[in-house]
Amino acid sequence: MHELLERTIREASGYFQNFLIHEYSKKSALHAVDARVKLLATIIFIVLAVSTFKLEKVLLVLIFLTIISAVTGLSLRSLAGRIWLFTLFSFIVVIPISLSDPAYLITFTLRVAASLLAIQMLVMTTSFSEICLALRYFRVPELFVSALWLAYRYAILMFRELLGILIARESRRVSKGSHMDVWKKGGEAMGLFFLRSFEKAERVQLAMEARGETLNHYHGKLKKLDFVYATILVFTVFWWVII
Amino acid sequence: MHIPDGYLDLSIAAVFYILSVAVLGYSIYRLRGQKITPLFGIVAAAIFAAQMLNWPIPGGTSAHFVGGALAGILLGPYAGALAMAVVLTIQCLVFADGGVTALGANIWNMAIVNVFAGYYVYRFIERFSKSAAAFIAGWLGITLAAIFAGIEIGISSAFGYELAITVPVMGIWHGILGIVEGVITAGVVGYIAAARPDVLEKKAAPGKLSLGVIAVMIAVSPIFAYAAELVGYSEPLENAAEMLGLEENPIYEGLLPDYTVPGLDPYTGTLIAGAVGTAIVLALGIILARYARTA
Repeated sequence: MHELLERTIREASGYFQNFLIHEYSKKSALHAVDARVKLLATIIFIVLAVSTFKLEKVLLVLIFLTIISAVTGLSLRSLAGRIWLFTLFSFIVVIPISLSDPAYLITFTLRVAASLLAIQMLVMTTSFSEICLALRYFRVPELFVSALWLAYRYAILMFRELLGILIARESRRVSKGSHMDVWKKGGEAMGLFFLRSFEKAERVQLAMEARGETLNHYHGKLKKLDFVYATILVFTVFWWVII
Repeated sequence: MHIPDGYLDLSIAAVFYILSVAVLGYSIYRLRGQKITPLFGIVAAAIFAAQMLNWPIPGGTSAHFVGGALAGILLGPYAGALAMAVVLTIQCLVFADGGVTALGANIWNMAIVNVFAGYYVYRFIERFSKSAAAFIAGWLGITLAAIFAGIEIGISSAFGYELAITVPVMGIWHGILGIVEGVITAGVVGYIAAARPDVLEKKAAPGKLSLGVIAVMIAVSPIFAYAAELVGYSEPLENAAEMLGLEENPIYEGLLPDYTVPGLDPYTGTLIAGAVGTAIVLALGIILARYARTA
């Protein structure tokens, strides 16, 4: 089971950096833009990128997103570091098709890159609580958004608890065990983990009932910067339509 | 299995958004009035944590647990689907894992098909053996989810490969990886059945009408694939080979060449080939589940 633990810890350490990135990353002008505007803009940018196979339109979205990132003070190096892997994967996946349609290879890859760039701009500049509040503003059901917020807050805690159970089991193990043994024993450890998560949910429910469990709502009005960002979005859409 | 942005046609993405919102909306409606927000949140966080585990598999590689069938078995199909949808939304909006436009399709595959299919397979077989039922539910749930993902990207003109490639690639690969999912699901359910059997009982399940509607929605969604065939989809690699004047010259054609049965018309042949493949994988799954129980 040590292999399971080693691989998991190695991968999780990289994965969980995302949890903290928007809390501690360098502040940019985009951080100050209202989450509602950013969420809507992200969706529109992605739709613009994936609804066409015209190279010039896809390039327009990609270039505009890059310029916005650079002008607002986001690290392009950091953005590139976050999107290159899946962009490369998408490129490799469609290489066989480039035999019959070389332009497809470029356009498909750039569509994916532009979409990833748009979502990373949101992720890097918006805290998850802001995203949850924006979702509530757009009338996503409270039950769903509250669960979303709760799951986000408890994710690292639950992971630590799961890891603790696995490490305790590993420290008591005396035989090596096959893959099947690892899966089976690991499944049992996860059974214990899920039982504990049910008990924790009961305690959290009682605590929430005692303190009150409503999610805050948006009170703030849109600022000048929000309208500037919205204008840039409209400008992008305008150029996307006319070229 | 998370489909990113750019792989799906917007029309296909929109259809699966509508289907997912309909089922999740109905799930929220069925669970109204129950104070279960922490249960969703904490169990979703637990599933999220469980998905981080990197299970070693023979050959030096590893596989991730998805947990859709388990969510259905532990929470019931409505709450399970919502918990999985929460996990997928966080993965999309925090980790950029899976696309924003593809979120509807990802929720359809991993939070609805996986959870509902897993739950009902488990409920149907549990009378014989809870562990075997959990194994088959875990394996079938993840394999079906992958097949649906294959169908969605296969019928999208945005993705250059067609159904004949995407469905077998996704289905076969996840059918193999699904064995890990099945064994872990069986381990979890076996442990909980022994320690807290009450957790596995009394789940809010759909009535006959709503179950029928959801089952029809799941069953009908791949008909897009058939419609795609009707409008003249063809294999791009075969097109490329034809353009280059290449001919197929296989060393061994297999028992069911090109997913057909020699002597039968192609549609009947493909249907039989699919059924045979599913039966073989199912039989292997049952044998493995028995081995897992006795090991």
